[in-house]
Amino acid sequence: MQASRARLFKEYKEVHKEKAVDPDIQLVCDDSNIYKWTALIKGPSETPYEGGVFQLAFSIPEQYPLLPPQVRFLTKIFHPNVHFKTGEICLDILKNAWSPAWTLQSVCRAIIALMAHPEPDSPLNCDSGNLLRSGDVRGYRSMARMYTRLAAMPKKG
Amino acid sequence: MAKEAEASARKRKASDDVGPEGEEPAMPEPSLLEVETKSGEEASNSNPNPRDSFLFEDDYGCASLCDDNVDIMQHYSDICALDAVKIPYVGDKEPLSSLAIEFQSGSPILQEKIKLLAEQYAALRRTRGDGNCFYRSFMYSYLEHILETQDKAEVDRILANIEQCKKTLQVLGYADFTFEDFFSIFIEQLESVLQGSQTSISHEELLLRSCDQSISDYVVMFFRFVTSGEIRRRAEFFEPFVAGLTNTSVDQFCKASVEPMGEESDHVHIIALSDALGVPIRVVYLDRSSCDPSALTVNHHDFMPTESSTSNVCLLPRPRVTLLYRPGHYDILYPK
Repeated sequence: MQASRARLFKEYKEVHKEKAVDPDIQLVCDDSNIYKWTALIKGPSETPYEGGVFQLAFSIPEQYPLLPPQVRFLTKIFHPNVHFKTGEICLDILKNAWSPAWTLQSVCRAIIALMAHPEPDSPLNCDSGNLLRSGDVRGYRSMARMYTRLAAMPKKG
Repeated sequence: MAKEAEASARKRKASDDVGPEGEEPAMPEPSLLEVETKSGEEASNSNPNPRDSFLFEDDYGCASLCDDNVDIMQHYSDICALDAVKIPYVGDKEPLSSLAIEFQSGSPILQEKIKLLAEQYAALRRTRGDGNCFYRSFMYSYLEHILETQDKAEVDRILANIEQCKKTLQVLGYADFTFEDFFSIFIEQLESVLQGSQTSISHEELLLRSCDQSISDYVVMFFRFVTSGEIRRRAEFFEPFVAGLTNTSVDQFCKASVEPMGEESDHVHIIALSDALGVPIRVVYLDRSSCDPSALTVNHHDFMPTESSTSNVCLLPRPRVTLLYRPGHYDILYPK
């Protein structure tokens, strides 16, 4: 408990130092609870998510950093490795490949990388995975783009 | 960014309204930017987007299949956890005869080897088979050695090596805060096995601490950082070994097979840890291999740290950490 708190305070300080370094990630700690964080990440360029801003919710266990943070998308996203309803993310470093060498910040980077490089063979969103697996890249991209427009971009007019 | 920050504060409020976590998660609808154009009512509506309904994932059976997989994985890890809990992280010292009893209806080769083992070794101490057994065995065996010998010079020597390991990680680009807590927990243990200070501990206390997750796992993680740092620092040397094991790059190997808790250790890990800390390790192999059934021997391998510019090596002739390897698992072995 004490150890996780101390570590999170260090990450908190680091995030404020690093802010200028990574303009694609904005990590914010809850005002009253250091175990709850949210992040805003920018959709990577040259992907259907480009131009979108996606919100992530972090829920951090007391045994952090021995155990990984729980992260899910709050913003709806059409992606093979993100559950369409819950926003749950299928990413190895958030499960068995986690190590304390990762930080909340680098987890965000890994999620941005996952957005750019979906892995359709371990899908949480099977519709999205099936489109890619059947080679319908255009179908996948247009669906993903539509949801980016609907959910992750400011509405026009 | 300032605008985004402001919006995110508001957004957070919106997500608070949605309800407790864990229930059928109502995904607070779209982005921060959109919140500005929406009325509060709309934003807190749990399913404001009827357009979603043309995607009924469950109708395809796919999404539920994925959920099943998660359940199965969870169930499997629950079983492992239950199994593991039966054995403490580090157990009590047992006479070697307990090993003979364990294998009394087993392979004759193993029975014969256990007899041979008993000529040289007096006892063993089991560790939990949770993928961390090599590090856990090393931890206890080394700290116990210091506790018994009170070898202050050795402690100073290893502290110097630990300092080098820290620099290695910094050079490799690890942020200090990711590893420093693990380093200080190990150094604390090292200092407290030396007697004569207020924080000194006994054998019993060492065993208790080795079984206390908040200390034991942190020390295991310390060793994982040290091992990973050493492999990466000498990537060229380790590359062929790594390629033989996993067919991945050294960096990927460290990320996937060294740094995560529960990842088992192989020769590569042992060489790296022994070199980085300058501590010789003997591994005695108890398996069913035999070249000549009439003249069985128990194989062992001594991992002698190579002297390098960054680490100084302890000069004892005999390895101070002796481990018993049975395929897939390490325990601690006590020489006579």
